Amino acid sequence: MITFKNRRRWGLTISVILGVAFAVMMLAYSVMLRNTAFLSGWVLFTLMILLTLYNARKKLTYPPLFKSASWMQFHIYAGLLSFVVFFFHTGWRLPTGSFESILYVMFILLAGSGFIGLYLTRTIPKSLADRGSEVIFERIPRFVRELREQAEALVVESVGFNDSTILSDYYSEKLADYMARPRRIGLHLFWVDRTRKDFQHELRALHRYMNDEERSVAEKLSDVLVLKDDLDFHYGRQGLLKGWLFLHVPLTYGLLIFAMAHMVLVHAFYGGLA
Amino acid sequence: MAQVQVQLQTQIIDKPKRWDLPFSRDLPNEIECRDLTEQELDQLLEAEPFSKMDASKFPKSLPLREILRNDTRTRVYHNGDAVVRVGDYGNSAFLILEGDCRAVIEGLDASALGRGKKRQRSPLDSLISLFTNPKSPEVRDPSLYPQFAEGKAAVENSASGRVFAQDVPNVLELFPDAYEKTQNNVMPQGSLFGELGALGRVQRSVTVLASDPTRTKLLEIRWQGLRDLMKYDGALREHVNQLFRSRGLLGALQSSPLLESANLTAQQWEEVVAEAEFETFGSYDWYGTYQQLRQKDEDPLSQEPIISEEGQYPNGLLLVRAGFGRLSRKHGYGEHTFGYLGKGDVYGLTELMHNAESEDHMPLQATLRAAGYMDVVRIPTRTFEKIIYPSLKIAQEKGELPRSLSGEQIEYEGSQSAAQSAANGHAEKSKKNKLDPSMMEFLVENRVINGTQTMLIDLDRCTRCDECVRACASGHSNNPRFVRHGRIHSHYMVANACMHCEDPVCMIGCPTGAIHRTEGGGEVAINDLTCIGCSTCANSCPYENIRMVSVRDQSNEVMLDPQKGRPIVKATKCDLCVSHAGGPACERACPHDALKRADMNDLDFLSDWFNR
Repeated sequence: MITFKNRRRWGLTISVILGVAFAVMMLAYSVMLRNTAFLSGWVLFTLMILLTLYNARKKLTYPPLFKSASWMQFHIYAGLLSFVVFFFHTGWRLPTGSFESILYVMFILLAGSGFIGLYLTRTIPKSLADRGSEVIFERIPRFVRELREQAEALVVESVGFNDSTILSDYYSEKLADYMARPRRIGLHLFWVDRTRKDFQHELRALHRYMNDEERSVAEKLSDVLVLKDDLDFHYGRQGLLKGWLFLHVPLTYGLLIFAMAHMVLVHAFYGGLA
Repeated sequence: MAQVQVQLQTQIIDKPKRWDLPFSRDLPNEIECRDLTEQELDQLLEAEPFSKMDASKFPKSLPLREILRNDTRTRVYHNGDAVVRVGDYGNSAFLILEGDCRAVIEGLDASALGRGKKRQRSPLDSLISLFTNPKSPEVRDPSLYPQFAEGKAAVENSASGRVFAQDVPNVLELFPDAYEKTQNNVMPQGSLFGELGALGRVQRSVTVLASDPTRTKLLEIRWQGLRDLMKYDGALREHVNQLFRSRGLLGALQSSPLLESANLTAQQWEEVVAEAEFETFGSYDWYGTYQQLRQKDEDPLSQEPIISEEGQYPNGLLLVRAGFGRLSRKHGYGEHTFGYLGKGDVYGLTELMHNAESEDHMPLQATLRAAGYMDVVRIPTRTFEKIIYPSLKIAQEKGELPRSLSGEQIEYEGSQSAAQSAANGHAEKSKKNKLDPSMMEFLVENRVINGTQTMLIDLDRCTRCDECVRACASGHSNNPRFVRHGRIHSHYMVANACMHCEDPVCMIGCPTGAIHRTEGGGEVAINDLTCIGCSTCANSCPYENIRMVSVRDQSNEVMLDPQKGRPIVKATKCDLCVSHAGGPACERACPHDALKRADMNDLDFLSDWFNR
C-alpha cells in the first residue's frame, strides 16, 4: 500500500515534470514566434473541464468510474498545474480590461478557495477527532437542545434546595443565552474561545454561596458546559468543512461560463494571427 | 399537515410470520416451487429418520409435520448435477430419499463447477436507478410479498439458497477418468450431508454430486428446521453431532495451509486424522455473554476460557477451525494482548518446531484464549514430531514453508537462544504488524476481529462530508444501509456497518432463514421477502449493525398489520453493494481515502493501512 507521503511525493514530482514540460513548450512556441496564448488558453480550459468533472463524478455513484479518492488526487494536482498554466496564459501580469479583470479575479478566488479547502480538509478533521465525541453535523442542534434541557433541569433541581436562587439567577443571567443554540462559531474557527472557561470560573466563584447539594449541581452544570463547548466547536468546524464548497463550486460554474464567453470573444476577434 | 396525512396513508397487509413462505415455495424454479402434498408428508413421516421420531415431544407451536411441511422441500437431481459445491455457503442440509450421491473432495476446479459471476445490475441499470430511486424511505413493492392480497403471490428472484445445478456430466466427460482423479465417497440413500455448512455457518467443505443413473431425490432441510428437529429428537441430535465432529475434523485438517505445506502422504494423513482431537472452547452463542459483558463493564479476559497458557508444556499443535482467539503475554500484574488468531491460523508451532530439533525445552510463549468461541483441532506433540515435523523441516529447508503463517511467525535463526527465538517469533509478528498494542486490545475486546468487511474510518482524514452515506443510499433506493457512527479508538472509527462476519451470529436465531450467506462470496444478506421483522438478527448482532425499518409501498403508504395495526418492519443492513458492479460504494465514494472495508484477518493489510 502506498503511503500518503509517497503518494504526495509522486504527485508533486509528476506535477513538476508536467509543469516544466509545459513551460518548455511555451518557450518553444515563443521562440518560433507563435501565439502562446492559444496554447496556454486551451490547456487551461481543458484542465478546468477535467477539474469540473470531479463534481459530476461525485454525483454518479454508478457506474464505477475510478475511486473518488483517485479523482481527488487528480483534482488537487491538476488544480495546481492549472494555476501555473494560468500565469503563463496571463503573461505574469494583471489584466487591464474589465471583462478580463472579472475573469482573473474569479480564477484567483476559485484557485484560492481550492487551496484553502485543501488546507481545511487536511487540518480540521484532526482537530475534530481530538475534541469531544464524534457527532453528526445535522444532529448538533438536537444535541444542543438536549443539553439545554439537561442544564435547565439541573437549575430547577437547585431551586428546590432551601429555595436558593444562586444558580438559577446565574443561569438566567449568563448561561441561558449561551445554552440556547450553537454559539461562538467564529471564535471556534480561528481563535481560542475562553467563554466556557470564564463561565466555569464564575460558577466556581459562586461555590462560596452554595450549600453542598448546590455545589454538586454546579459541578454537573460545569460538565454540561464542557459538552456544549465541544458541540459548538464541532458545529463551527464541521460547518466550515461543508461551507467552503459553497464558494468553490458556484465559482467553478461561474468561471466556466465566463471562460467560454472569453474564448468566443478571443476567437471572434483574434484577427487571423498565427 | 402534510406530515399527518403521510402518517395516515397506510397499506394493510398481514404481519409476516415464520411459515408464511414455506421453504418449498422459496424457489426461483416454477416447476419445483410448490407446497408439499399431504401424501408426501405421510411418506416422509413413514421414512427414517422421521419415523423414529416421537412427534409428541415436539411442542404444539412446532409440530413435526409442520416443520417438515414448512422447513423442507424435495429436490430432484440427475446424474452429475452438483447439489452443493465446495467453498459455497449454504443454509440447508440434505437427506437422500432416493438414489445416491458422491462427495467429491478434490479434483473438480471452479470452472468445472460452473462458478459464474455474481448476478449484478448492468452499469446502465445502476445509472438509471440513480434517477429513478423513490423519494420516500424504505419503499417496497408489496405485490412481491407472499402475505399480499388473499393468495400467496409467486415469489420471483428470491434468495432460495439453492446451489446452481449445472451440466456436470458434460464436464466430467472432459475427464475420462474423472472419478479416479477425484477423491470421492459414495453416500447411499438415507445419508445426511451439508449439516456442517448449514449449522456451522461455514463454507461447504466438499462438492456433492448426484450420482444415481436414474434420479436422486433429496430432502432439503433449511437449518432452522434442522435445528428444531435436533432440539426435539435426541437421536438425530446425536447423529448430527457425530457427523459434525468427524467431518469437521477432516475438513479442518485438509484446509490447513500448514499441513498443505507439509505435503503429507495418504498414510500420514490417516495417522494424523486418527490422532487429532477436535476441541471447542467458549460458547457457540457467545454474543449474548459478550453483550452482558459490555453492559457490566467486566474484565473481558475473565470471561474468555484459556485454551493454552504461557509457560506450559506445548502438548500439541493447535489448528483453528472456527472462531477467534486472543494471544496475550504476562505484563506486570496483567496481560498484554499482542495478537489474535482466526480460522486457518496455528498456535504452538514455533515452540514445537524448536522442541523437535533441540533438547533445550521451550514452554509456550503466549496464552491463547477463546474470544467468544473457538473450534480447534489439536494434533498431539508426538504425532507432530513423528509425522508433521519431518515434512515441515524438508519444506523449510527447500524454502517452501511460508515464513509467516497467519497467526504465528516462525523464527529459525540458529544463533539465537531457543526461548529468544520463539519470543522473537511472536514479537516479530507484532513488530511486523506495527499495530499499536492498545489498538490490538480494542479490536479484540470489541470483537471487531470477527469482520471480513469491517468499515474503518480514519477520523484524521474524514471531513464528515457524508459522501459515503450518500453513495450507499443511492445504491439502495435512497436508503443508507449504515450509520457513520460507531466505536472509536484513537482516531479510528469502526462504523455501524455490517462487517460480514467470519462468524455471523446474527444468523443464529432467524426463524425463516431470511438472513443468509450468499452462495458465491459468502456475504451476509437479508432476503426482504422472507424477513418477518422479528428483530432477532438485530438483537443478536453484537455490533448493532442491523436496523429495523417500517416499509412503505410505492405510493408512500406505510404497510400495516391489520390485526395489531402496527407497521410492517423489515431488517436492513449493508449488503456490500453485491447487486452493483465495482464493490462497496461507500469506499469508492470517499474522496479522502478515509474509509476502508477491511478484512480483520489480514493483519498485514491492517498494519499497512493504520500506518499509511
